[in-house]
Amino acid sequence: MIKITELQKYYRTEEVETVALNSLSIDVQKGEFVAVMGPSGCGKSTLLNIIGLLDDLDEGSYKFNDIEVAKFNERKRSDLRKHNIGFVFQSFNLIDELTVFENVELPLIYTKVPAAERKKRVEEVLEKVQIMHRRNHFPQQLSGGQQQRVAVARAVVNNPKLILADEPTGNLDSNNGNEVMQLLTELNDQGTTIVMVTHSEHDARYSDRIIRMLDGQVVMTTVG
Amino acid sequence: MLKNYIKIAWRNIWKTKGFSTINILGLAVGMTACFLIALYVNFERSYDRYHSKADRIYRLVCDIKTPTETINANITSGPMAMYAAKDLPEIENFARLLPNSLLIRKDNIKYQESKLFFADSTLFQLFDFPMVAGNPATALKEPFSVVLSESAAKKYFGKEDPMGKSLLLTDDSFNSKVTGVIKDIPENSQFKGDVFVSMVTLIKMANFKFDEQWGNFGFTSYVLTKPNTDPSLLTTKFPAFLTSRVGKEMDQMKMHYSLFLEPLKEVYLYSKRGGFESGNINNVYIFAIVALFILLIACINFINLSTARAIERAKEVGIRKVVGAYRMQITRQFISESVLICLLAFIISLLLCLVLIPYFNYLAGKEISGGIFFHPIYIIILFLLACLIGLLAGIYPALVLSSFKPVTVLKGKFSSNAKGLLLRKTLVIVQFVVSIALIAGTLIVHRQLGYMRNQNLGFNKEQMLVLQTNGDAKSRILKDAVASVPGVLSNSVSGAVPGGENPVAYSEIENKQGDMQIANLPVYFVDYNYIPLYKIKLVAGRIFSPDFGTDTAQAMILNESAVKLFGYSKPEDAIGKKYSQWGSEGKIIGVIKDFHFKSLQSKIEPLSMRYGQGNGGGLVSIKIEGQHINAALQAIERKWHDIIPNRPFEYFFADEFFDRQYRAENRFGGLFLNFAVLAIFISCLGLFGLVSYNTTQRYREIGIRKVLGASVSTIVQLLSIDFLQLVCISILVASPLMWFFMSKWLADFAYHIDISWWIFAIAGSIAVGIALVVITSLTIKAAMENPVKSLRSE
Ligand SMILES: Nc1ncnc2c1ncn2[C@@H]1O[C@H](COP(=O)(O)OP(=O)(O)OP(=O)(O)O)[C@@H](O)[C@H]1O
Ligand SMILES: [Mg+2]
Repeated sequence: MIKITELQKYYRTEEVETVALNSLSIDVQKGEFVAVMGPSGCGKSTLLNIIGLLDDLDEGSYKFNDIEVAKFNERKRSDLRKHNIGFVFQSFNLIDELTVFENVELPLIYTKVPAAERKKRVEEVLEKVQIMHRRNHFPQQLSGGQQQRVAVARAVVNNPKLILADEPTGNLDSNNGNEVMQLLTELNDQGTTIVMVTHSEHDARYSDRIIRMLDGQVVMTTVG
Repeated sequence: MLKNYIKIAWRNIWKTKGFSTINILGLAVGMTACFLIALYVNFERSYDRYHSKADRIYRLVCDIKTPTETINANITSGPMAMYAAKDLPEIENFARLLPNSLLIRKDNIKYQESKLFFADSTLFQLFDFPMVAGNPATALKEPFSVVLSESAAKKYFGKEDPMGKSLLLTDDSFNSKVTGVIKDIPENSQFKGDVFVSMVTLIKMANFKFDEQWGNFGFTSYVLTKPNTDPSLLTTKFPAFLTSRVGKEMDQMKMHYSLFLEPLKEVYLYSKRGGFESGNINNVYIFAIVALFILLIACINFINLSTARAIERAKEVGIRKVVGAYRMQITRQFISESVLICLLAFIISLLLCLVLIPYFNYLAGKEISGGIFFHPIYIIILFLLACLIGLLAGIYPALVLSSFKPVTVLKGKFSSNAKGLLLRKTLVIVQFVVSIALIAGTLIVHRQLGYMRNQNLGFNKEQMLVLQTNGDAKSRILKDAVASVPGVLSNSVSGAVPGGENPVAYSEIENKQGDMQIANLPVYFVDYNYIPLYKIKLVAGRIFSPDFGTDTAQAMILNESAVKLFGYSKPEDAIGKKYSQWGSEGKIIGVIKDFHFKSLQSKIEPLSMRYGQGNGGGLVSIKIEGQHINAALQAIERKWHDIIPNRPFEYFFADEFFDRQYRAENRFGGLFLNFAVLAIFISCLGLFGLVSYNTTQRYREIGIRKVLGASVSTIVQLLSIDFLQLVCISILVASPLMWFFMSKWLADFAYHIDISWWIFAIAGSIAVGIALVVITSLTIKAAMENPVKSLRSE
């Protein structure tokens, strides 16, 4: 599903040029659950953002479902992203001015799903992440774990083929963390491909494969 | 999608109530000013446009050239339009108006009708004045026919049907018949008559053969051209027409006429010749520009506050992009948001307009009806205008916000960039430039008005009561009668008083070369007492005196300007020279010092004075002792009712009367002041928003500095110095700009103030002062805060 070869990514500031990713190549098959691990600053988030088409790459090739997307313009990326990829972040990233229901509904609005259908699908996923009873609350009125479950619901509401999660349990205690991991595993069982960045060996154990990075390069891949 | 935008926009407005209030209030006030001015501009431009033949109607005007001067008159003599229509096939029809003020009486109901015109019977064929009763084709055909406006008809006849009823004209009681009633003439008309008397009445009433007297000016003439007539081509035919009709007389009198056409629709706003009522296109432009500036200030507030708050919206933008929003969609979202805010402001401003229209009418000095304002088409136009404002004000913030990269903003490493800050500073400068310019403009206008009010006019107008008998034959008797009223110090009867109308006479005066020089001279008919009563200074010769029998018919007094006009370098040299004026011949007996008999807008013109007992005007001037004014006024009114019982008591005070000439300027000043206050208010709202935002942003910094030992005053200084710098730059930009524009405005006044540097210093200090209050009140609060609190809140 994802095939990245010889990827280079630099960050340029006034004085220095940081090499964030250095001739990095990875493959992720459809239906896989991959965990990415490595020390802070080694380029995990950068990689995830590139996979999610939120950031562009400087050199190398990136094929998504056999289509070369490295040179896509912003609009094409948005199109690809909104139909195929869901995101879960460490800091939840819900819109504070929207209710739980409206937050989850948002991706469906951008993919132009009709209102009745939207309601049905949002309710379905909210049911699935067991947050239905809080549908009319605002994010600030929920606990961290609840917020992250809403974020997962939002990521999956469009039935994406790929979910990218950047330290989804980083801000959660172990109970809440395990619930979120449980959810991701269920999604993976239903066929969704998952790439997850994590610092926790415990969480990584839920995955099929662990990619270990150091200084912008893949140093080891272990199959779980 | 739109629903989602509106929902989030609404919640955002609600969440940040303070900002939203500033935003919406600023916009609403700006829009209100803009709408009111739009209404005013539109009203001024609408004059006389409602006549169906307006495109083919022209005012016929005349230049009168004598060897001495050229007068650009807005009037003609009677035969001009009449014979032009006869001789020139391009002219289909004509109608003339002769304004007058007559006493009209029906039993005990009597009014001095000053909105009265003698009019040709063709009046209603040229102009669309719908008739409620009567036949428009014949109503003004017969002598002593009167057409009334509906309100005049009601005044005299109440609920009765006025048709065919009689009205008494003038004190001599000519009997006239009401032959028609028209709807009241709309406010946006260059002449607003209440009473029209058939022109032919003049022949019967005063034996005035108006169709034959080429030298008797006073008629406002309108001509209707045949369709597709080129007015400039028609104008080229006038010289030949005049030569064939009055060539000989013109040569004889050494007076040359030229005729011109002014399109009816442009007379009010564009004609430099004035008229019954005239506007000023420059003022219309000035106010239009002021309106745009105020709107600009309001929009700048909006842009500034929205971009300053961009950081708070950044996360939302990031998330929306992550879940698939196009940049375009985000842009659209923020634009819809600003349009929504504008529409809220629009609703508030409609309410404000509704409340303010009476006040605005008062300021503008005319009934700009709120009715047309709340006409659906206007509402729609204003609604679209509001949307446009939202669009324009929203577009920049929307582009900034939608350009955020999700990766950057979601990481939270985001801070406002220097470019945005520079832009915000520039915009604040623009706001203050406009505000300071308006303050300086207001100061200059008011100083000029004060200057005109306090200038020594060359005559004394204090405690001077003037009775307006409208030329009553008994004005002299009235004058003698009031002399005995306690408190009356002195009095006089005359044909004119300073600041009012006066006749202009075809005159011949012996000049320095010994020739009889022709000039059109304003003439005051005065009695023996007039010059001392008004304390007008004599510089040579003597004043009229009963000791010289010849003074009543063969004496003239000139002012210094007139003496100069005829070539005398010393006033004494003019004494004893010959004059001939309106059939009277005699000698110059005295020269008076120039006094301002017209407003300070124009230079003092040559003036002649002759002995007369109130010819024409019948004005009785009465000097009253200060403490007796009220009692004396009552006693004088009783005398009036005894002597001329048929006329309603009419009086004014000479000083107020003179200042009435500055009504337009006073209004201009008043409007300017109001808009300057508005501009400052909106700018300060914006400054308030920015400073308070900036202060909250630096909350933590303030805390740290305080922990490290900074005092409250250093922190206030730190926070306010940036903004004060901006205000100072604005002063530097605004001063030369305003100096340039106001010099132009002042150039219209023959006597005016000089713009001194300290006006800008004052305007600047006012701006700095207000800004300082806003800034320090906010920063002191922040600086006084306990540092522990601000540090913990992070
Ligand atoms: N916007 C940026 N500008 C400059 N350098 C950046 C930027 N973003 C990231 N970097 C640099 O790129 C490298 C990789 O960063 P990245 O965020 O991918 O690390 P990470 O592995 O996700 O770390 P963490 O586990 O702490 O989240 C780091 O050295 C970082 O300093
Ligand atoms: Mg990271």
